[in-house]
Amino acid sequence: MKKKNRRVASAFYFMVIPMALLFFTLHTLPFLQGVFYSFTNWKGYGKWAVVGLRNYIHIFSDPDIVQAYGFTFYFALFATILVNLFSLLLAMGLNARIKLKSTLRAIFFLPYILGNLIVGFVFKFIFANLLPPIGKALGIASLSVNILGTDNAWLGVLFVTVWQSIAFNMLIYLSGLQTIDHDLYEAADLDGATGWSRFKNITFPLIAPFFTINMVLCVKNFLMTFDQVMAMTGGGPGTATTTVSVLIYKRGFHGAQFAYQSADAVLLFLIIVAISLFQLFVLEKREAKLA
Amino acid sequence: MKFKQAMVLTMAAAMIAVPLSGCSGENSASGSTGDSTAPVSLELFSTKSENSEILKSLAADFHTKNPSVTITVTSPQDAGTVLKTRLTKNDLPDVLSMGGDATFTELQSAGVLEDLSKESYASNIQDSYKEMVYDVQKDAGKALYGVPYATNASGVLYNEEIFKQEGAEVPTTWDDFMALCKKLKNDGITPFELTFNDSWCTLPPWNSMAPDLQPENFTDDRLAGKTTFAATHQEVAKKYLALLPFAQEDYMGTTYADGNKAFAEGNAAMMINGNWAISEFKKVNPDFNVNLFAFPASNDSSKNYVTSGVDVLFAVSAESPNKEAAKQFVSFMMEKETAEKYITDQFAFSAVEGVEQEDETVAGVKKDIANGKVANFPDHYYPSGFDLAALAQEFAKNAAEGKDAEQNITDFLKQCDEKYDAVNVS
Repeated sequence: MKKKNRRVASAFYFMVIPMALLFFTLHTLPFLQGVFYSFTNWKGYGKWAVVGLRNYIHIFSDPDIVQAYGFTFYFALFATILVNLFSLLLAMGLNARIKLKSTLRAIFFLPYILGNLIVGFVFKFIFANLLPPIGKALGIASLSVNILGTDNAWLGVLFVTVWQSIAFNMLIYLSGLQTIDHDLYEAADLDGATGWSRFKNITFPLIAPFFTINMVLCVKNFLMTFDQVMAMTGGGPGTATTTVSVLIYKRGFHGAQFAYQSADAVLLFLIIVAISLFQLFVLEKREAKLA
Repeated sequence: MKFKQAMVLTMAAAMIAVPLSGCSGENSASGSTGDSTAPVSLELFSTKSENSEILKSLAADFHTKNPSVTITVTSPQDAGTVLKTRLTKNDLPDVLSMGGDATFTELQSAGVLEDLSKESYASNIQDSYKEMVYDVQKDAGKALYGVPYATNASGVLYNEEIFKQEGAEVPTTWDDFMALCKKLKNDGITPFELTFNDSWCTLPPWNSMAPDLQPENFTDDRLAGKTTFAATHQEVAKKYLALLPFAQEDYMGTTYADGNKAFAEGNAAMMINGNWAISEFKKVNPDFNVNLFAFPASNDSSKNYVTSGVDVLFAVSAESPNKEAAKQFVSFMMEKETAEKYITDQFAFSAVEGVEQEDETVAGVKKDIANGKVANFPDHYYPSGFDLAALAQEFAKNAAEGKDAEQNITDFLKQCDEKYDAVNVS
């Protein structure tokens, strides 16, 4: 169906080319620079030399990095599952003909509008000052101290991350649910499909593409968790909540390991690309099956 | 399907790549060059949020005397990291006000600072603090890349009223110190307010004890790999743990800001931190009677040094287009009158000869400092990638969660050695 030599209005090029140039200079170029530096021993300043794959080899024997990857995967797994579960539930509730639908939608969307850092700082305060007295009054030992100073600090970070991320995923699910034709549900009603079987056989297959997008976005987002951790725990106590991104930032700049942590960043990038591709591949196959 | 797939992929790839590329950037060198009458604007970068107000006010004084020079004070959160980030972009501020710590060593060894040893004020600085700067410089001999300005003192801050009520004396040995803690606790007073939710706050006890208890040449020997933390710091770690039962409830969950407030309101008798916290107490309670004593880590009181380091030094960027104006500003800051204003505001000590801290809040260590019974902060000598704060915070957290003390100490010191060696290679 391709037509050669068809004249395209130049306006389209005006729309695309300046953006492409900006994107390239401000984004692609620095990214490629980062990749280049990952093959050097640059500290972030001063003299440097190309060292080949030394940084990449060293990563695998660095206990701090291995630990950070372990924590990040663990965290991303929990966050992805919880966010998708709750956002789908909320979306279905808000898609039904309930009262105050618009108000509730606005309320649930609110956390997304707030900056990650702001939310992090607010919750840091809540965990440190407001929650412990409540925990004490209720006699719950694990809540009567600041959770961010204990081994359970990651649960605090997880809670805030999930709370905040639900909004956007809910919106995507909601838009998916709204594409479903109501006639389908009526037909299903006539066939006697209700509750779980209606969800399994009609709703979910029809919003499967949205599930795919949400899964990919969630995994990618949570593997790069940064702001919440920086605001709430700074990676602590000790190194208990240090994600890969936090480690890259802290050690890359503060620890003068710019090149080494660039290698770490490239590795994280490759891992995320691989996981995303894998997810798309598997989930789209399922989508095709379901549809 | 194909189109959507392509779109999702592009979108995903684009979003992944954004944060990775945040690391590099463009130069944004600014400022005007020219003769002394042309308007010049300088950036004064402070790594200490506590002193930004007084620096702003002194910078304004300087501007009044030198109307052609305007100074902007910047003092961001996590300033050490910001500074290094800016160094990577070759965007160093004109004048730096920073600690004599590992970050300074990094800058100095990167060759981006100006040697100030020939300036007239260099001869007017106390030798002991000049030595501390020499110590943290790399391959620089007696060149002075940072002018020591204000010095600090770390030890035990105590609430004088509670001490008076309890009839307590300032302890000078470890045994007296522990006996005092027990007595306070029995009387229903919380001996320590510890603020270990901020990881750096886990360092002052270590920094106070290590110089008293570690072998004399530890710093050099450790650097050369001739000794280990595990072999030499058992006592420090053990005494560190001995302090924790005397802290307030949930010390791991208390932040520096909250703890300062609680201490200033009289909720605890002591706090293990430094003179820099005093101005924070005064914000909460202007009439607070607080004093400082040297941490008595040893039973031999002659070994209980005041931990005192170069808290603020001034450095000038070698690449600044306004180097002369920057030097002129440093010279102004070193004048006796300016230095006095600074230390009065900050409850700090001055490195300038003949400028003495007269405030009573730090009277407890004034004599020691004047007599030179001081030891520098041991962590100023550790390699900069060595994150002792994270290790100490974990050590304290494990103790709070009931880990066996023996095992906790062994693990902690082993970690110290491993992490130290990991960053000591380059």
